[in-house]
Parts: sequence; structure tokens; C-alpha cells
Amino acid sequence: MIKFSNVSLIYPNSTRTVLENLNLEISEGEMVLVIGPTGSGKSSLLRLINGLVPHHTGGILAGDVSVDGNSTQLVKPGGMAHLIGIVGQNPANGFVADTVEEELAFGMETLNLPNDVMRKRVEEVLDLLSLAPLRNRSIATLSGGEQQRVAIGSALVAHPKVLVLDEPTSALDPIAAEEVLSILHRLVHDLSLTVVIAEHKLERVIQFADRIVHINGEGVTSVGTPEQILMNSPIAPPIVHLARALGLKEIGVSVREMRRMTSGIREKEYDLAESIPSPTDNLIIEVKDLSVTYDGKHALKSVSSGIYGNEIIAIMGRNGAGKSSLLKSLAGISQVSSGSVTVSGLNPQHLKGKERRTTIGFIPQEPSDLLYGQSVKIECDQADKDNQIPSGTTEQILQQLVPGISANTHPRDLSEGQRLGLALSIVLSSNPAVLILDEPTRGLDYQAKKELTRTLIEFARATGKCVVLATHDVELVAELATRVMFLADGDIVADGSTLEVLLSSPAFAPQVSKVMSPLPWLKVSDVIAAIEAHQ
Amino acid sequence: MKKLSLHPLTWWIWAIGLAIAVIRCDSTIFTISCVGAVAVVVFVNRENAPWGKSFNWTLKLTAWILLVRTIIGVLIGVPIPGTKLFTVPILPLPNWMPGIRIGGTVTMERLSSAITEGVLICAIIVIFGAAASLTSPHRLLRVLPVYIYEFGISIVIATSVLPQLVSSVSRIRQAQKLRGQSLRGFASWRKVAIPLLEESLARSLDLAAAMDSRGYGVSKKRSRYRPIKWRTADSAVVCTALIVLGLS
Repeated sequence: MIKFSNVSLIYPNSTRTVLENLNLEISEGEMVLVIGPTGSGKSSLLRLINGLVPHHTGGILAGDVSVDGNSTQLVKPGGMAHLIGIVGQNPANGFVADTVEEELAFGMETLNLPNDVMRKRVEEVLDLLSLAPLRNRSIATLSGGEQQRVAIGSALVAHPKVLVLDEPTSALDPIAAEEVLSILHRLVHDLSLTVVIAEHKLERVIQFADRIVHINGEGVTSVGTPEQILMNSPIAPPIVHLARALGLKEIGVSVREMRRMTSGIREKEYDLAESIPSPTDNLIIEVKDLSVTYDGKHALKSVSSGIYGNEIIAIMGRNGAGKSSLLKSLAGISQVSSGSVTVSGLNPQHLKGKERRTTIGFIPQEPSDLLYGQSVKIECDQADKDNQIPSGTTEQILQQLVPGISANTHPRDLSEGQRLGLALSIVLSSNPAVLILDEPTRGLDYQAKKELTRTLIEFARATGKCVVLATHDVELVAELATRVMFLADGDIVADGSTLEVLLSSPAFAPQVSKVMSPLPWLKVSDVIAAIEAHQ
Repeated sequence: MKKLSLHPLTWWIWAIGLAIAVIRCDSTIFTISCVGAVAVVVFVNRENAPWGKSFNWTLKLTAWILLVRTIIGVLIGVPIPGTKLFTVPILPLPNWMPGIRIGGTVTMERLSSAITEGVLICAIIVIFGAAASLTSPHRLLRVLPVYIYEFGISIVIATSVLPQLVSSVSRIRQAQKLRGQSLRGFASWRKVAIPLLEESLARSLDLAAAMDSRGYGVSKKRSRYRPIKWRTADSAVVCTALIVLGLS
């Protein structure tokens, strides 16, 4: 169906080869997963399939890409519209209509399909993706998962043979991600659709993939079954790390396989002492009966809680549950309808300038919002100047966080992980009492996530400060959080230790705990520590 | 009150009619009352969507334009004799630039003519800003013929990306306030402008790529899933503009 023959790609004004001599044939009904570190060229590979690269982006392409016999050299992306459906990294940026129904119809209108065909297909897709109740809704009011489903639907209405998705679950909560992926799985099996997908969160998609294309960052690609590729790849989901750590000869890519392989380990008796660092007595954040209302809708309903030193709190919940509203009220940037928030005894809404910087560090969903300098160096110098600290301090923090960033790089040219690192070091340079992060792992690869985990744990433990983060990433929560607060519809529905909260809901349980259930282990290091203590 | 659901071209035709009337009439009182009427229509009828909110920014922008235009109009140009208001120092110019002066005596007549001209320009901007904020750019795209393909893409990008930027501005300013930056004065705008520009470019490219890969502009004919019909209400709105045009 899709054929890459000797494909090499270089972007203009760049010396780095994005892809080198890729040969790959994807047959009908196959689901292929593209993995690699951020900035390694996953998106480029996906966009080569319908010719957006190089027709839209420029660049030198050697070799040939063809889909169903149509070479992208001869046919422009528009000419492939009936053959390939493509869903971009951020579907909201690609919507062209106001309502769900119109959006679904847009692609067919441009293909000039007759009205009765359009009506039939819109109904089909509405049913297939369970979008029927949303048909007249304005797209702007949909949640992330719903928008993703609409984007997939609007790609499917043209009855393409190939569906290409760039990080379809990165912005979604675990439940919405599951919905989207099971729909894809069904499409592959029922309609023999060919699906090519790029994703960082391997734990979510790996069990659905037939083959993996791994790009190593220098243009070298390897292609194989998930077991072959993940055996030695540095990019691997937690269960593969578990298999490696346990010294299993084979690796399993699904929880079911891994449970079979590890039944012997689960049968033994273990000393199940928890080792969470206990919080200090120092109440840093106090939330009392906090309510937040936007346009008459309640985002938070009378929420109360206290956060102490040494704690790393993960705020979880579905898209639209009020996570961002809570974080913004803690940071003092949203209007509070009633109740109060105090951070280190101060009202965050009244903080300004230096006092604000030393009290609260906030990393927004788009870390680049904080950046405006023309180079990494200018950003770091500005932070030094703002905080009246010896020049070079911020740069030093940055070098510890993400080594090897050239000081003259423009922040825009950094990878997602590097940009987060830069924003984080600017915020950390003022040494705030509280660090708040909104969805920090969106678009981060495993390496960058590991760095982030290390930094945050160090920050909280070293000086008795606290970290509050909102995230959908259960694996990240398992790695670092000491406490989890679960929001639903503006209420705190669960608040307790990470172990307690994560294990109580199967949808939010990390992979290791699913494999090791009923033993209460969340991460690979828990398992290893317990086994070592047993011996 | 239920909001009218009109044909996407209606408000644009209405705006063109009013704009012509304002230019033809060239009376400040008429112009200002027109702007007032337009503002009322927008505040009553606009939707709670990014483009709906863009009207506030249009108003702010025009206030700035009016101010700057008046100051420049008073200071630079040909002097008009009349009642003397105050005098500012004259900037000496080389004698090969006759007839132009910078500074000097400011007369009542000079000031009023500068304001009149400024008001007219601003009125036109407000009227078209109103049409942009009353019409969903996406619906507008659907009624535009495909043969103006490049134009269509630019329209969608300009009208859907730019209003979204309005919300981005507040988001970015909020984030930078958190960095403890003071956001006063002109210099702070640079700090907002850079992330904003990047985001708008990225968004525009995404949208253009999405439209391209869905085959926009490939077939010169387009079918209609749910044709947008011209209704009586549309004719009524256009009629009001025509009546104003006729009276001017």
C-alpha cells in the first residue's frame, strides 16, 4: 500500500539528514508505529506519505514515496485526499468548520461528492466514532478527546485507504486515549485500513502495533516487529524495562504476555513496606472552599485541601475536570469566585515582581509562552538579572537539566524537551517555594521525561518545597508523585497516596501494577527493590 | 434575545453599503452615529466565539489610530489659518521642501480637519471590523467560490487565525506576568509579539497543510452538504444598509 524506496530527506538550511536511505513497504491493513526521540523526524516521515513533505515544507527528497501506486513526486497532497487521511499533532489547528457535521462534510465537499453520498457517509462516521450526540455542537466547545475523534472522522469520510496520525493520544487522558485507540484497532481489523501512527507514549499503543519503525535521530531507521525493535531500543515502555530488569529472555509487549512470564515472581511472599518520604509539617499551600466559575459554568466547586513541604502532588482527571483551573487559582492568575488560596501565607493574586518569582514558579502548558528572548543565552541572562543572582547561574542550572544546548540557539529551534528544560531553569533560578506545572509531558520522549522526574524529585526533597503538577501521564505519576488528587467535574473525588489512588482505578493504573497485580508495585524500581529485599 | 443566523455574506454586504454611505456623506455626526449603530448591532448579535471577541480589539486599535492620526495631522502638513489654539516650536526644514512644515501654530480649523479625517478612516475600519466579528470565517469560506483558491486559503487563515491570536495574547501575557515581568509600556509588547508571531505562523501552516491534504482547491467544483440559503432576514439587513446609502 505504502512504499518508501531509498528515501533520504534533508531540510533546507540544515546539515542534518532527517532520514537516510529508508526502504519500507507497508501492506494493506497493517498498523505501523513510528518511534524515536523528539525532533528525530517522526512527523516528517508521516508527512512524506501524502507529500506534505516536501511539497509544503520544502526540502530535498531523494528516492520515491508512493501510495497505492501514486508517487508523491507526481501527485500533490490535494490529489491524494481521497486516498490518505491525515490527522495532525494538534487537530484543533486544522479545523475549517464551526460544527461537527460541517467539519465532517468539508473534505467531501472539496472532493465534489454528490449530496446523497455525503449524507450517508456522515451518518456512517458519526456512528462509527460515536459522535452522533455531538453532531450539531460547535467544535470549539468539544473536549480534547472529542476533537481528536472529530479529526479522525473527518479524515475517514473520504474513505481513505491509509490513515496517518501524529501523536493522537498525547493530549488525551488515559480513558479518552483508550477510546481513540480502540477505534483505530477496530478500523484496522474491520475495514483493513492501513494505519501509520507516531506516538511517544508507547505504553498506550504498543499492543496494537504490527510493526515498528524506529528513527534514531541521525536519520538511521530500523524496521521490525515490536519484540525485535524493543529488545534493544532505548525507547521502551515500562513493561519492557520490567522484562529487562527481571532478566527475562523474551520481552512481552502486552500486559497479558508479561503476566504469563512473571507468574513465578508474583507467587512469592514479599515484605510490602511502603517507602514514601513523609511530608513536613510546613503547610505551604492552603485551599479553602475554592470555587471558580467561567461564564456561568462551575469549573471548581468548593474545593478544600492543604499541601505540605516535600510533597509532589499529581492532579489527575479527565479533560475538562478542572485541573487547569485549580492550578491557575493556585498560581493566582484566575479569578476566584469564592473561597481562598494562600501560598506561604500570601494571597497569590496579589503577588508581583520578585515576590511572585520567589513564591511561585509556574510552567504553563506551552512553556514557550514564557520565552521571548532571541537566544538561550539572552533568556538566561535576563533571568539572572531579574533575580539579582551571579550571572551564569541560570545557564548552569540549564546545563544540569539538559546538557549540550548551545547558548546561541533560538528557543524556537529547541526540541520540546529542551524548551521545557529552558523554561524550568528560568523558573528554578528564582528558587520558588512552590513549583506548579501544567501538563509538562506533552510531546516529551522517555529520556526527557526521566530528566524531568529527576529534577522535580530533587527540587521537592532537597529543600522541603512542594511541586504540584497536572498530568494525564500515569507512568510519570507513578514515578514521582507522593500524593494524587483526582478531580471530576470540579470536585476532588479522591485524594490520597499515589499507590492508593492509582491502584483503585484500572484505567489509571500504570503498566507495572497491571502486570504485578495484586502486588502493590507501581514502577520497575519498586519491583526490583522488593525482590532484592526478599533474597 | 435569539441571535439571528444569517448568510455569511450578509454582514459583509451590509458593511460595504454603510462604508460607501459614510464616505459619500462625509459628515462627522453621521459617521459617528453610524459607528454607534454598528457597535450596538455587534454587541447584540455577536457570537461567543474568538471572532466575536475580536471587535473589542478593533475598537482599541481604532482609538489608537485616531489619536496618532490626529497628532500627526496637527503637527505635520499645510497650515490652515483661523483661530489660534496654541503654538509648538517649528522644526526648521531645508528650503527644498517648500509648503511643508512641522510644528508651528495649531489652529482650531487645523485640529478639526485632522479629527474629521481621522474619524472617517476609523469609521471604515470599525464597520469592516464589525462584519468580521459578526461572521464566522469558516462559514464565509464555504460560500466563497473555489476558483479564488489561494484567496480562500488566505481568508481563512487571516480570519480564523488572527482572532484566535486575541486569546493567545492574554494567555501569553498571563504567563509572563508569572515570570514577574512588568507588562507596561511599548517594550513589553515585544515580549508578547515574539511568542505570538511564532504561534500564529505555526497555526497558519498547520491549517494550510490540513486544508491542502483534504483536497481543498483540487476540484474546481464543490458540492454542498447543507447549502446556506439566503433568507428574508438577510434581505432585511442588506435593505437597512441600502436605505442608509440612499439617504446619504
